[in-house]
Amino acid sequence: MIFRIIKFAFQNFYRNFWLALVTITILTVALFSITALITLNVIADKSIKSIEEKIDISIYFKKDADIQRILATKMEVSKLPEVKKTTLINKKDALNWFRQKHQNDKAILSSVDILDENPLGDVLVIKAKNTNDYQKILKFLSEKKYDDIIDRRDFDNKDHKEIIAKINAIKNKVRKIGYIIIGIFSFISILIVFNTVRIAIYTHRQEIAIMKLVGATNWFIRAPFLVEEVFYAFLSSMILISVFYPLLNFLEPHLNYFLNYNVDLLNYFKNNFFLIFGSEFLVISFINVFSSFIAMKKYLKV
Amino acid sequence: MVELKNVSKIYPHNVVGLKNVSINIKPKEFVSIVGQSGAGKSTLVKLLIAEERPSSGQIIIGDWDITHIRRSRIPVLRRQIGVVFQDFKLLPQKTVFENVAFAAQVCGEKNKKIKELVPKILNIVGLEDKSHRYPQQLSGGERQRVVIARSLIHRPKLLIADEPTGNLDSINAKEIIELLLRINEHNTTVILVTHNKEIVNSLKKRVITIAEGEVISDKEKGRYIL
Ligand SMILES: Nc1ncnc2c1ncn2[C@@H]1O[C@H](COP(=O)(O)OP(=O)(O)OP(=O)(O)O)[C@@H](O)[C@H]1O
Ligand SMILES: [Mg+2]
Repeated sequence: MIFRIIKFAFQNFYRNFWLALVTITILTVALFSITALITLNVIADKSIKSIEEKIDISIYFKKDADIQRILATKMEVSKLPEVKKTTLINKKDALNWFRQKHQNDKAILSSVDILDENPLGDVLVIKAKNTNDYQKILKFLSEKKYDDIIDRRDFDNKDHKEIIAKINAIKNKVRKIGYIIIGIFSFISILIVFNTVRIAIYTHRQEIAIMKLVGATNWFIRAPFLVEEVFYAFLSSMILISVFYPLLNFLEPHLNYFLNYNVDLLNYFKNNFFLIFGSEFLVISFINVFSSFIAMKKYLKV
Repeated sequence: MVELKNVSKIYPHNVVGLKNVSINIKPKEFVSIVGQSGAGKSTLVKLLIAEERPSSGQIIIGDWDITHIRRSRIPVLRRQIGVVFQDFKLLPQKTVFENVAFAAQVCGEKNKKIKELVPKILNIVGLEDKSHRYPQQLSGGERQRVVIARSLIHRPKLLIADEPTGNLDSINAKEIIELLLRINEHNTTVILVTHNKEIVNSLKKRVITIAEGEVISDKEKGRYIL
């Protein structure tokens, strides 16, 4: 019985081949637009994260500060619930670290270069769990009792904050446009599928009339159309996957270069394969089955 | 076998299909139903196969009151009734064998059973040697015999033929009627709807005449009276 239903479904497919092709194309484009939106979202999130990673507080201790008190300070800061990580940099390594940190800032670099002697003491680098927590940590370290060992408290996040705000704005805009695009494609998909089923019913009106007359059950009459539409959903998901991965493979190096960090999209899509493509398949199947039912209700009269 | 009690069918806009019709058809009977165009003959057929619902009255087939039959039960009813219409409704891209087998397939019959059953039925209608032809390679009479074969696939106790000879010349028509008689001899109740005066008169069986939705005559060994 199931075998027969599948066979009938495939006969539909062959007999309305061009229509099937159009349907699958539209469904694939719809899926592609959803996937592209997910991709852009991932890129935005990852970009924000990578920028947030660069944000930290640098505490420059005085050159003659007591190492015991420096270590005690590090302990105290580590205990704060907002702090994710603290790194103490020895004064010997501090200059190298400083050069690297400011590698893009020629003015600062040259000002360090003029000096013959290492101007830096030990440096404590603090990373917070959340970017909003830095002010709190800074406040904690601004207490008077630290003034005699701390030379400078450096928290420069102005650039970062602006960039993050910009990315968030872009992200929201993309999302809004994305929803509109997805809405349009879903609507087109519903229309197309509705019409495929309608035409399939029309081309099979004789068979359907005979089936009804000889006592085929309504489910047997309906099932081939549903199977066919779910098959379309499956096929377009497969096409999407087989187009999307090579495309991603090609784009990823360029994207990494452009963004100046490793977005690792391929891995993201690998790890969330079933979640993303599985739910896309389910959504498009649902759309197809839904519009098939409307078409059948209207034209099949069973 | 078939019982209609005060059945009326009023279509939308007050078009009368049938008016207060009571008929009782016993098992193994052969009944002709005659009447002018628009009299309500096809309406009667549609009520019997639950394609239409009566506006009032009661319809019983076998022991089954189908007056308010549920949609999901209609296929069960249709598997007990063979139906033949004037317009042949064969699938042109299927052979004779496949056309008959199709009816069994869509009702979930097993392939093995179909392979046994179809030749037997084609034998009854005398088309066993043409089972691999396509409908367009058959004469009108042969095509109608395929339709009859298809209607026999469930071995129905009741066969309803609505103008089965409508498109046929008199020789072919006669053959079809002879086939129906043979089927009737094998204990199948036959209801024949026809316009054909010659046929009705030669049958010498029960004739029910309908005019404007009403039964105006119901006679054993009747004649065509319009
Ligand atoms: N689906 C329908 N909707 C509305 N009116 C209908 C419908 N089917 C039939 N009628 C009307 O009911 C009346 C009886 O029609 P029916 O088809 O039963 O006639 P008939 O006796 O079979 O005629 P014919 O010999 O031409 O086949 C006619 O007046 C027809 O116009
Ligand atoms: Mg009629």
